[in-house]
Amino acid sequence: MGTEGQAAQSSPADRRELIGARLREFEKSEVARILSACTRCGKCFEVCPMTRYSAAPASDGESVVSGVLAVLRGEQGSPEALGWIAVCTRSGTCVPACPDSVDPRMMMRLARMTALGGRGHAAQIAMKEDPDYFNRIRAFAALQLTDEELKDWT
Amino acid sequence: MERITFWYGCNVLRHGDIIHSCLDILRALGFDAAPAGGPDHCCGTAKDANQTAAGGMATRTVGRFNAMQRDRVVAWCPSCHIHMLEFMARTNDPRFGMTYFVELLHQHRDKLKPLLTHAVPMRIVVHQHLGFEDRVPVNRVVPELLAMIPGVDVVETPYVAPGFTCASFATLPQALGDIHSNTAAAVQSAGADAVVSIFHQCYRELCGLEAAGVTSAYNYVQLIARSMGLAYEDEYKAWKKAGADAADLIGPERLRKVGIEFYERAILPELRKRPAVRN
Repeated sequence: MGTEGQAAQSSPADRRELIGARLREFEKSEVARILSACTRCGKCFEVCPMTRYSAAPASDGESVVSGVLAVLRGEQGSPEALGWIAVCTRSGTCVPACPDSVDPRMMMRLARMTALGGRGHAAQIAMKEDPDYFNRIRAFAALQLTDEELKDWT
Repeated sequence: MERITFWYGCNVLRHGDIIHSCLDILRALGFDAAPAGGPDHCCGTAKDANQTAAGGMATRTVGRFNAMQRDRVVAWCPSCHIHMLEFMARTNDPRFGMTYFVELLHQHRDKLKPLLTHAVPMRIVVHQHLGFEDRVPVNRVVPELLAMIPGVDVVETPYVAPGFTCASFATLPQALGDIHSNTAAAVQSAGADAVVSIFHQCYRELCGLEAAGVTSAYNYVQLIARSMGLAYEDEYKAWKKAGADAADLIGPERLRKVGIEFYERAILPELRKRPAVRN
């Protein structure tokens, strides 16, 4: 049964618990797959065009990747791993470079979510929250769309 | 006539002309397009630091699209499109297919070409990123679409920026500065009149380059729209170029809608910001 079906048959408290439950389960299964598949060869790090912008530059891809996998396990990541995670902008050059079909782009995305504290672990990298993010979008919508468009399109 | 949902996204609401042009293009191509976007249709990709919130937003948005009972969602925003494919569709129960807007235009290019009747004399380079290409080959397809416009001369450039879109670089000023500088150099070495973005996230940045006097900037849809004779005003770019004086263009009535205090705190700093470009 899908989330919508489950939500329809459960109590308000259960429904609150269900919010994001399938996403969290999916991410957990992806983490398990990545931890199992990755051989820490470091090829993904070597081809990344963003490593030079890291606050903790490194040359040894194997150890940086080991640090990323530690973050995925909920452990403390090395400064080099956290530095790389912080500058990942999803260039995707790592995907064809991986000899083990890990999908390092997904690995880095999940590591970023984890390091930011988004998956229930303590945050290891800081994220500057923009409290005006959605209100700014609403404001631009109000400036650019008619009242009727705002009602029907947003 | 195929009934589709046109999922334009969130941040493109800065560019009403792009949203309106896309809808006109879709309708000219024979689609019954229902627009949906804004924070109430957010994909949740911005919520990396809170996966419970991201999951809730994804379920809400997929549910809304299911309720629209249209077979296909056509996404404008690359972040929304990929987040749907990678996370939302795999953790919810979508009853619709997904297509990226560029793919749809390219699939219907034979129908689009006769609509491009107005010449747009312009030598351009296309601003490209590495990160989306393996999902949708936009770096190949968008230049092909632009080359169909009478008068447009697309100059190939070897520079492809890292990352997915310029939005990913908001917290990486050195890397973003490199992108700006390399883009300016690519335009100059090509002898181009303008740089053309594929994504609205990049266009927001490139408007800063135009405001700083570095190069003219457009989004590809604006050139297609111009060639079709559509005449939506690019207000965001006008506001960006006006900077501190943007309020004069926006006018008191619209400023009251968003609130003067909010405008000055949350919008004006973005309009005044100029990129750092090294020579």
